Amino acid sequence: MIRVSDEAELPRSGKLNAKPDNDPVGRVLGTADATPLQFWTAVTPGSYLQLDDVVVTQRELPDREPVTIAGVVTQVRARHEGAQFDSDVFAIAEGTLPALVQEAAEITTTRVDPELYVPPAPGAVVHRAEGSARDAALHFDRMERRIPMGTGRDGVPVFLNADFLDGTRGAHVSISGISGVATKTSFATFLLYSVFRSGQLGADGANARALIFNVKGEDLLFLDHANTKLDQPTTAAYKLLELPATPFSDVRVYAPPRAGDSSGAPDVSSRLTGVDAFYWTLEEFCDRKLLPYVFADADDERQQYTMVVHSVTAHLNRYAVAAEGGISIDGRRISSYGDLVDHIVEQLTDDDTRSTWAGSAVNMGTVNAFARRLIGSKRDLSRLIRGDLATRRPHQIKTAESAQVTVVDLHNLPDRAQRFVVGVTLKTEFDEKEKAGTGRPLLFVVLDELNKYAPREGSSPIKEVLLDIAERGRSLGVILIGAQQTASEVERRIVTNSAIRVVGRLDPAEAARPEYGFLPPAMRQRALLARPGTMFVNQPDIPVPLCVEFPFPAWATRKSESGPPPAASMRSIVQGADPFAVVGRPGADDDIPF
Amino acid sequence: MTRMFVDAWDPSYGSSFEGGEDGPASPSSAQVDTDVEVPAAEWAPIDVPPGRRAPDVVFLVDGVRRNDAGLWTQEEDGTSYAGLAASFAAGVVRCDLGRGSAELVDARVGRGLFTASPSAQDLQTGMIRYEVHRVSGQGEASKLPAAVQPQLTALEIEISAMARQTEDLLVVDGPLRNRRHLPRTLGFVKRQQSQYLSATLNAVVTALKPGQRTPVFHLGTVWGGWSWYLRLPGGSGAPWSGIVRVECSPDLTPEQAIELAELSGATLPRFASSAYKDPRAPQNLVPIAGLERRLRGMLGDARVLHRALTLATSRNRA
Repeated sequence: MIRVSDEAELPRSGKLNAKPDNDPVGRVLGTADATPLQFWTAVTPGSYLQLDDVVVTQRELPDREPVTIAGVVTQVRARHEGAQFDSDVFAIAEGTLPALVQEAAEITTTRVDPELYVPPAPGAVVHRAEGSARDAALHFDRMERRIPMGTGRDGVPVFLNADFLDGTRGAHVSISGISGVATKTSFATFLLYSVFRSGQLGADGANARALIFNVKGEDLLFLDHANTKLDQPTTAAYKLLELPATPFSDVRVYAPPRAGDSSGAPDVSSRLTGVDAFYWTLEEFCDRKLLPYVFADADDERQQYTMVVHSVTAHLNRYAVAAEGGISIDGRRISSYGDLVDHIVEQLTDDDTRSTWAGSAVNMGTVNAFARRLIGSKRDLSRLIRGDLATRRPHQIKTAESAQVTVVDLHNLPDRAQRFVVGVTLKTEFDEKEKAGTGRPLLFVVLDELNKYAPREGSSPIKEVLLDIAERGRSLGVILIGAQQTASEVERRIVTNSAIRVVGRLDPAEAARPEYGFLPPAMRQRALLARPGTMFVNQPDIPVPLCVEFPFPAWATRKSESGPPPAASMRSIVQGADPFAVVGRPGADDDIPF
Repeated sequence: MTRMFVDAWDPSYGSSFEGGEDGPASPSSAQVDTDVEVPAAEWAPIDVPPGRRAPDVVFLVDGVRRNDAGLWTQEEDGTSYAGLAASFAAGVVRCDLGRGSAELVDARVGRGLFTASPSAQDLQTGMIRYEVHRVSGQGEASKLPAAVQPQLTALEIEISAMARQTEDLLVVDGPLRNRRHLPRTLGFVKRQQSQYLSATLNAVVTALKPGQRTPVFHLGTVWGGWSWYLRLPGGSGAPWSGIVRVECSPDLTPEQAIELAELSGATLPRFASSAYKDPRAPQNLVPIAGLERRLRGMLGDARVLHRALTLATSRNRA
């Protein structure tokens, strides 16, 4: 419903402009059917319309006010009128055959005001929509809070309705596109930046947290570093969107400990300051039942040993006792993940103890399959699950206690370890949110390669968490910004729960899949050649996806373009944790680090 | 053995020449002076002189006509006359060969109701008006179509008098008739009906190669003037295929006529149409064909007009 009367009071309201001052750009065609939702416009000689231009026309009605129909150009074509054969073009170009070049544009209606679905009359004058008419045509005037997400093809800002991002009326973003050229992660970070800095979300925006998993390269580790390649046009582009061209202000980076390093120093090569190591102690591993996340492959779930996984998890949870960072179980002191795996395998292969660990109805083959997998995980996980580091040293990823933006670096980790970190971190965060019971502060989770963590086929503990977020996260203030090369390979319920769908450059075979049905055919074609920095954004209250160009990041995306590190990250060269902090804590007298 | 050729023209248009095996059949009674350019004894095909270029701008004029409906009147005294509602249009194409653009510079559409009925009124159907043109005599239905032609010709003449440039050429589809006062104007006769030349000289015509022309000769008829034959490229190879007769105003001096003849040889062949695109190729020139298509479009949809006429007449009766 378009509430015309209410809109008049809003400061940025724009009624569909009844009498635009600009010159007509064409007339509605009569040789093709004009329908209320789609019609063709013949372009006046000497003018032009390009894809994504916004136009407006009017239909006079006998007994009431005229209907204003606004729409977006979704296809343009030009042809020779008067030519019969393909070769006639040569005669025409030579100047011997008279013919007219006629351009026509297909308009897909975005708004009808008042809501009376009549077709525009053939011959009706079509104007370019500018200013408030454009805002109205694209429904921007009805957005109470609008987040800038870039500029349209016409160079004017386009907005995202915040209601569909923060959970008010919808949540979650799904970004698809070919890796490398689709700039999925860049768009996700720009969107976050816009949420934090545009001020449209008010206090929610300032208090919101973001959890970003960095899966490829170290390109997300410099979010708080100024970009030295920032040039004048880019700054101007930010200014146009009413955003400052600065890096993220409050960023905390977590990296896994270096493999084989007993001190637990973070494993990063390019960013040297302001990086914390994250790991889990053996005590946490047993107490919080993290073992299932070791078996987070989709094909793990299909195996028989799921039962064994759950009984071993329960056994560890019940009998493991904390002991100076490590644990003690069955009277044995265990201080590393490798030792724990060895102990479990030993107990399971021993006929006497097997039934207490795995239950009685388990055959040897299943136990062996489990043991094989568990031993295989030693190499991948021993650097993340530690019994040799101080328990009280800060090592957990908790967005509530971290900075506004928390970046978790996974790019050095093998696949199994990546799944473990993502699964455990998301589960922990979601549980915290569930316990708190409020939808605020908002938590944005940026996760690339969603098709790996939540594939369409099979099930895994991570997929369960992601499904939980997709289905209940909206009310709990957890917003998933998922990116994937192929939306067709991601769990359908996650994609359908995303209110905002974004598409960058697509693979031709992928573009033909029904997951992209929201793209009109011409836009689907264009998605095959979208340039980096161009995205098609579909949001629920605009019936046509918008073509968006978002500015080059104002923050560094690699070491070579990063400016000096921010002052806050200079606190420590090795890690952000203050080694003296433990001294002051109650009950910390036994764990002095020096 | 006799060589055979299929005529390039679509059979529904007749043939590009009408007559026996020697060419145009009906011998003309016109006085023909064939010694204008060269003595008749020395007639031979003439090539385009090497330096002669086509003008940058060529105008072409043509008209189209269509019978929209046949009507019958009922007079007070019970007699009945035939009527014909026809639409016709004339237009000018400006071919700018230098710039490579051909555009319709002017076009006019006329509609008329042709009948011998003394009481017939103009027919108004919506936005369109069929003006009454009274035909003399009995006005038999079979003679009415011929009555449209003078109106169309008048329209063509009217439209030919548009602004011209100094170095251009105007090509009129059909004989010049009363357009002979226009400067630098050629009449372009597609269909050869009369035989103006003697059998010996006709042999020169059939011996023309594409682009070549005969010497200029003078026709002594009422509408006569300077004339010559020209063969357009793209014919079937038959003796009279691709042959057109071009004429210019008799008011010109022989030198001016020869110059125009040279110009026509340099200009017209590049406008020749190809057989698969035009049922009257190559004589129906490409710009003319395009112009006719545009003009037919301007005549309006025949079915819509027929229906509108049916409605208008039934409303008048009521």
